[in-house]
Amino acid sequence: MFLCLGVSVMAFVLTTLVPGDPALANLGDRASSDPQAVRLYREHFGLDKPVPVQYVVYLNNLLHGDLGESEQSRRAVRIDLAEYIPATAELAVSSMVLSILLGVTLGVVAALRRNRLTDQIIRVVSLGGMSTPQFWLALVALYVFFFKLNWVPGSGRLDAIVLPPPHLTGLYTIDALAAGQFDVFFNSLQHLILPACVLAAFNMGLFTRFTRSAVLEVLENDYVRTARAKGLPELTVVFRHVLRAASPPIVTVVGLAFGNVMTGTVLVENIFAWPGIGQYSYRSATGLDLTAIVGVMLFVAIVYILVNMVVDILYAVIDPRVGLA
Amino acid sequence: MTALLSVNDLHVWLDTARGPLAIVDGVSFDVAAGQVFGLAGESGSGKTITALALLGLLPAGARTGGSATMAGRDLLAMTSSARRRTRGREIAMVFQDPTSSLHPMLTIERQLTEHLRYQLGLSAKDAHRRAVALLTDVRIPDPEAAMRGYPHQFSGGMRQRIQIAIGLACEPRLLVADEPTTALDVTVQAGILRLLHRLCQEKHLAVILITHDLGVLSSLADTVTVMYAGRVAESGPTAQVMGHARHPYTRGLVDALPHPEAADRALVPIAGDPAGPESRPSGCAFHPRCRYAKPSCRIAVPPLVRVDDGREMACPVDPLVASMAR
Amino acid sequence: MSTAAALSNPVSSAWRRIPGAWRQPLTLIGLVVVAAWLVVAALSPWIAPYDPLAQSPHLYQAPSSAHLLGTDELGRDVFSRVLWGARISIPLAMLLVVLAFLIGGTLGGLAGYLGGWVEELVMRGADFVFAVPTILLAMAVVAALGPGLFHAVLAVVLVSWPGHARVVRGLVRTIMQSEYVAVGRLLGSPTYRALAVDVLPNIAGPVSVLAALETGNAILLLSALSFLGLGARPPDPEWGSMVSTGAQHFEAWWIGVFPGIAIVSIVLAFNFLGDSLRDAFDPKTIIKARGA
Repeated sequence: MFLCLGVSVMAFVLTTLVPGDPALANLGDRASSDPQAVRLYREHFGLDKPVPVQYVVYLNNLLHGDLGESEQSRRAVRIDLAEYIPATAELAVSSMVLSILLGVTLGVVAALRRNRLTDQIIRVVSLGGMSTPQFWLALVALYVFFFKLNWVPGSGRLDAIVLPPPHLTGLYTIDALAAGQFDVFFNSLQHLILPACVLAAFNMGLFTRFTRSAVLEVLENDYVRTARAKGLPELTVVFRHVLRAASPPIVTVVGLAFGNVMTGTVLVENIFAWPGIGQYSYRSATGLDLTAIVGVMLFVAIVYILVNMVVDILYAVIDPRVGLA
Repeated sequence: MTALLSVNDLHVWLDTARGPLAIVDGVSFDVAAGQVFGLAGESGSGKTITALALLGLLPAGARTGGSATMAGRDLLAMTSSARRRTRGREIAMVFQDPTSSLHPMLTIERQLTEHLRYQLGLSAKDAHRRAVALLTDVRIPDPEAAMRGYPHQFSGGMRQRIQIAIGLACEPRLLVADEPTTALDVTVQAGILRLLHRLCQEKHLAVILITHDLGVLSSLADTVTVMYAGRVAESGPTAQVMGHARHPYTRGLVDALPHPEAADRALVPIAGDPAGPESRPSGCAFHPRCRYAKPSCRIAVPPLVRVDDGREMACPVDPLVASMAR
Repeated sequence: MSTAAALSNPVSSAWRRIPGAWRQPLTLIGLVVVAAWLVVAALSPWIAPYDPLAQSPHLYQAPSSAHLLGTDELGRDVFSRVLWGARISIPLAMLLVVLAFLIGGTLGGLAGYLGGWVEELVMRGADFVFAVPTILLAMAVVAALGPGLFHAVLAVVLVSWPGHARVVRGLVRTIMQSEYVAVGRLLGSPTYRALAVDVLPNIAGPVSVLAALETGNAILLLSALSFLGLGARPPDPEWGSMVSTGAQHFEAWWIGVFPGIAIVSIVLAFNFLGDSLRDAFDPKTIIKARGA
């Protein structure tokens, strides 16, 4: 909670320090010709009051669940967030699932085949994933799979003629399944797959590297030898004994990556016209929409706090030597 | 008495950048059921590698020669999957440091029952019962609660008992204990040794006890084979080998022990450092440190010869002369 | 463990191990590619067949013998533009990393050396920057300052310095706590001497790892900002903005694809280098070599 407060203060201070007048930025041409409009704009958004007062007003509203109104969308920021967050969440979660499955598996294989050809190939692939600019990968993927092969649609979360499923979580795939609308489910899956893969590329590489080094460390431990001395099959040794012991550092990096994915989707959302927080934050940042920016920063802070909590809980579950504080 | 395990001319080579290195160089011994067979030597003597060779747990890049026959089958000639099935089931091993040899994140129950269920196909309930019985056998108090616990919640001695229980779970015929008491407090050591002795008798187990500690040897081992630099120096019934050592190395080891009655006399160590596989001298490996060494000792590797009933030793220096010169 | 072994500098022994690491094929490839790009960046005015800004009537030409990588929407030669792009991205990225290291490294070094409130302050600042997603922070900074390469560089420096600070602080702490330095202090070496002789050389290794990896990341971030229109402005032949142009002219795929390949090749090369260097300096591999 303290962190939230801290972040909001920081955010607020930063936005007020930002050179550039939001009124001018948003009103554009009208600003220069119509001083009346500028004044009204200022009044409406409370920009004419001194800064500390603005902040107090903001905090007060915050405590009542009111995040203020976005200058650009003219809606409550809270509503904006509620609309855009699930889209990003759907993208983030699906890409994380992909990158975890691929990354951890490749990392384990690389560790077991250390320094052999397989390991080198996996190293190239994983470093490649981390070296490829997301925006370029997205465009190349779109070109190949949409433009040329037409296997997947090009943008948005659903085809224009398809209606979204009844709102349950905001994640179209899950909501469609829950409502039994399989055609909607497949359609949203089609739209989801390409951006999720693009987003997963970097993390897949990251997880592969981390898993490899974590597993290599564990493999040297005596209890692995004990497991083999019991005559257990190698797969059991690897998955029950080795992977479990190697998971704490992997969980840490996955948590960090999840935070990054949830909050760093700007480029992909931009290219795939995905209506998520990434797009929202880009518009807010370039349009100097202060309330929206602060709203996004609060969202970011909350995501990291939640992720840290989950990681701590997972630690305690995996490693019995760790106690829950 | 018939031998349960018969090791014949065992060799183990490790492939290094400078070519194959002989870690174990022609070791032979027999182990009988219901007996504790001691394998003694300093670090670098190859005793642990010998044990790992028996279990098939040698590191990659290691090759074996010779044979190790148990129940009519040569362990070294078996396929790796057949080998794996003998591990835990027919031969089990208990390692030196119980703290690092137990998985820190798995419950005791899991570590006790997983190979029980895999190797013997027991149901969860049966495995649980069997595990509790095992813990009782090794004298762990409150076995039911212990099952739910984790290794870090137990003391060193308890962890070693748990390791022994894990080793005996599938009722193997041979248990290899590698320095089972070295990592433990002196006060706890005696308990573990007593436990091993009792289990050996009760279950008619064959036990290979690997140690450098002569005190442990004399209290527990029935027979002993002393290794030096990958070869056998001397072997025979423990009391005789320790009491009337014939090989200069064994003699040196025994002499180096402090005697309570002679507390004011200076300790007599063996000069020099133990020879490792990379720095093994030509001929008899011990000759640079041996007080009875003759020029011929540098040239030829002394063969292992029988000197008495059940005793063998590998030193060309006339044993009678050696003991008289003492 | 003999006294000599206990006092032997843990990081300097890693220097001796570098020869092995360099012999790995991937490291060599990385080195060769980086060197090649550096040469290109230096010599592009002489290597490039055309002027990168020169427009021509041959619009949207597919790759051919006249134009190796084709032409873009204004008839400019893509190949020349890609070569010149190296001149923009690479020196900027390196400058950026040096700046970030100077700022972050100094702050981190001070934090580790002095501890106390200095450390707290620096680390809290670093944490705050870490907490904000990179792209967003960079975007916000550039949006506030206005677009342009210089501002983009500043933004990326702002985002990168905490990484350097953390690494340097950790290193300084480790070395301060090592017996090596303790003995030096006992023997009465003055503090600044200790810094120059003991601390700095030992930092060099892991820092070079970080530098290699960070340069790659800097290139990625700079090109991303340019792609969004917040960094380089047209007609500069910056790789990121070229990809952005390519996005608007999908049919002429060569406009966007080749600059991206350039980015991938150099970032991958830096990553190969950084990865291999990291293996050479990994304390675990050092300990194994010692204790074997």
